[in-house]
Amino acid sequence: MATQNFDVVVVGAGPGGYVCAIRSAQLGLKTAIIEREYLGGVCLNVGCIPSKALITAGHFLHKMQHDAPTMGLKMAGEIKVDMKQMQTWKKSVCDRMTGGVEQLLKGNTVTIIRGEASFKSATELTVKTATGSEAVTAKNFVVATGSRPIEIPGFAFDEKLVLSSTGGLAIDEKTESAIVIGGGYIGLEIGSMLANFGTKVTVVEANKGLLVGLADAECVQVVARKLKKSGVDVMLEAKAKGWKKSGKGVEVTIEVAGKEHLLKADKVLVTVGRRPNSDQANIKGIGVVIDAKGFVKVDAQRRTNISNIFAIGDIACQPMLAHKASHEGVMVAEIISGLKRAYEVKTVPSVIFVDPEIAAAGMTEEEARSAGYADLKIAKFPFAANARAVSLIETDGFVKIIADAKSDVVLGVHIVGPEASNLISEAALAIEMGARIQDIALTIHPHPTLGETMMEAAEATLGHAIHIIQKPLSAGKAAVPRPHA
Amino acid sequence: MASKNIQLPELGEGVTEGELVKWLVKVGDKISPDQPVAEMMTDKATVEVPSPIAGVVTALNKKIGDVIEVGAVMLVVDADGAMAAVASASKPTQGAAQPATSVKESAPAMMAASSQKSVSAGMEIHPPVTDAKVLATPATRRFARESGVDLNQIRGTGVAGRVTRDDVMGSGGAGAISAGAPSYGSVLQIPRPGYQGQVEAAEERVALRGIRKKIAENMQMAKHIVPHFTLMDEANVTALVAMREELKAHGEKYGVKITYLPFVMKAFIATVREFPMFNASIDDAAQEIVYKKYFNMGFAADTPNGLLVPVIKNADSKSILQLSKEISDLAKRAREGKLAMDEMKGATITVTNIGSVAGQYATPIINHPEVAIMGMYKISEKPVIKRDAAGVMSLDAIKTMNFTITADHRLIDGAVAANFLKAFMQRIENPGVLMLEMI
Repeated sequence: MATQNFDVVVVGAGPGGYVCAIRSAQLGLKTAIIEREYLGGVCLNVGCIPSKALITAGHFLHKMQHDAPTMGLKMAGEIKVDMKQMQTWKKSVCDRMTGGVEQLLKGNTVTIIRGEASFKSATELTVKTATGSEAVTAKNFVVATGSRPIEIPGFAFDEKLVLSSTGGLAIDEKTESAIVIGGGYIGLEIGSMLANFGTKVTVVEANKGLLVGLADAECVQVVARKLKKSGVDVMLEAKAKGWKKSGKGVEVTIEVAGKEHLLKADKVLVTVGRRPNSDQANIKGIGVVIDAKGFVKVDAQRRTNISNIFAIGDIACQPMLAHKASHEGVMVAEIISGLKRAYEVKTVPSVIFVDPEIAAAGMTEEEARSAGYADLKIAKFPFAANARAVSLIETDGFVKIIADAKSDVVLGVHIVGPEASNLISEAALAIEMGARIQDIALTIHPHPTLGETMMEAAEATLGHAIHIIQKPLSAGKAAVPRPHA
Repeated sequence: MASKNIQLPELGEGVTEGELVKWLVKVGDKISPDQPVAEMMTDKATVEVPSPIAGVVTALNKKIGDVIEVGAVMLVVDADGAMAAVASASKPTQGAAQPATSVKESAPAMMAASSQKSVSAGMEIHPPVTDAKVLATPATRRFARESGVDLNQIRGTGVAGRVTRDDVMGSGGAGAISAGAPSYGSVLQIPRPGYQGQVEAAEERVALRGIRKKIAENMQMAKHIVPHFTLMDEANVTALVAMREELKAHGEKYGVKITYLPFVMKAFIATVREFPMFNASIDDAAQEIVYKKYFNMGFAADTPNGLLVPVIKNADSKSILQLSKEISDLAKRAREGKLAMDEMKGATITVTNIGSVAGQYATPIINHPEVAIMGMYKISEKPVIKRDAAGVMSLDAIKTMNFTITADHRLIDGAVAANFLKAFMQRIENPGVLMLEMI
């Protein structure tokens, strides 16, 4: 068995790892990537991409059923939902993207090694492949092994009755009812997708509200209202104690305020979060320091305590988001090649594909206050006042801007509404550029588009949006609309 | 015994890399802590890099001529246990006048340490990560990192305190410029035209680097920013020559060679006191004139590596004897490339006597952000027409010396400079008067 030697070996081919490998190769480093399961990682195979495919289908169905008749589009007969065909289409979307990743890796002459890696030292690891094992040495390693769904006691995943997000995205038959344990973004995304396909969904959440700590509270309210309207039950401050089989489905014991309830459903989906895979690949065995929460301890260059080993993505730190991992991947490859880099972004935008979508960049009001911004300008502009939103029959939600009252610099933008996921990039750019509210307000936004809401929200934050009637922001302040400073 | 990687430590404020001039140790040498191991040339000076630990050199990782970045591993030392413990405890101290020492353990040692749960993740990053409150675009943040500039320390000149690309460039290119310290931020983007070789085989290309690069940058910046003008005159230094001849012998008793430079400095400072705008700077960023109440005298020194400007701090409060001593000490060490960083910083005004080699007059370039530079030239003997009380003319022989004052016309008008030169000439022609103002 010949030992292969590289400049850079990336362990894990998710959105952090494969991006890192491509950039390393672009920079002229001899690069390999090791993947035990699938190229593209959770994101492209059992996460972001398949969930968005299914959510889109659910949204489509919902529009056909509810909005199309309003628009005068009458369908003869019932709309049939073919879950098997839907899964086939979903798979084709994933396959196309993962195939693209493979082509990109190969095109950049990255060596792909399929198998499970295990570190032997700071410069060597072995890969258990389908046919045996390979020894790989490298000057630098990038650990990008990601995260996996957390299991809670009594709810071991069998992916038939007790599903993780992976199983939730593979349902290929009509499901009458489902219990979703965990009202975070994954639970609500899959839960509301299932609800669109006619599943009776009950969300069981231990916190006092949904999406706690994940989104602006006012944005969550809009989503909670919509969930209720679409028939999703939400049980707050509720704990799932255990389950047993009941007929073809499950019976789950749920404790609310000391009282136990029994709830029957076809399936139970457990989405209470993800944990970093830091207990794998023997990184701990060679001395890589892991913190109390299971993240690999890294510095601002994502370097571990062993200076030639880096960690990126979900395994390194919060937020566990693909785009953060990719950013780190590019950065680490550049650091290895000798460029001066550090992770110094102002914001990692987040998107939650619930109905309507929630997206955010920058700080919430509470975060801004605790960061020392005592005086804030905050205003919202509703999608109901936006022509494009009305013509889309998507009028729920708003754009909220939070700015430092002293400097007018934009600190945070929170959107709940149609295409929030696509609108947030402008906010992220504004925050990274250190834009002031006026910069957004004075940028001509094309009409008629959803993007106008950003401009109007900026105007509202200054006290004089055109398409809503604004009361003075506060007594004496901006009582008279003032020109842009 | 433990193998330790010795990194190139911080060499001084704003210095991010250096060129390895000479190894002072070889593989197998036993070294002690603080023993110089290498000579490095930076864009400011040549410095000796000390070893932080004791041990035996096992590898030299760099070759002479290599440009080494601060933090890069230079050599490997097998440290003896007791000393190694001391060494790893001493972290680099930022901003120290002496090159700080820094040790990073090699990976195997690191792993051993980690099992003793006493390890911090990763390396220290310099410059530190930009605080989220600092307003700078992503591209500016990257530019600052690549330039080694700590954005947290820069006062932005843009709207709402935004740090612009120009602010980063004006911060001196590299290093932590503390927000409190005067930066006199210049905002310049100097074009970099290429040179198309004519007969490439008969041309040699050498990297513009180190002291030469710094000189080039400084000169280009000064010529770009400062509208220069030069005023010239000839002084009768007969009395000065006589005085110096007399004092020369006294100086020798103290082992000090008395030259003309300290006399010129004394007359120069006395005149600058009278004309404070000569001891000033223009803070372009703030649109303010900064008048300095201290007198640090730079003097141009020709060295094998190029022009250096050592600085005599608080030159106004030093005697001719002290000045002479300092001048000869600084000049000697400048030629040997042994000046410390802060011995070349902080001049408020500069004098050049390069004209003493040859040349009647020169038009020196101001050492920005200073606003004036004085030139002094060689002494000649000249005939002059003397007229006695009765009006009878006769020829007399006098010693003359040419002087120039070059000033920043933004701050100093021609008439002011003429008055300045006149006042200076009166002092240098009558060195006895200097005694009246002597501190």
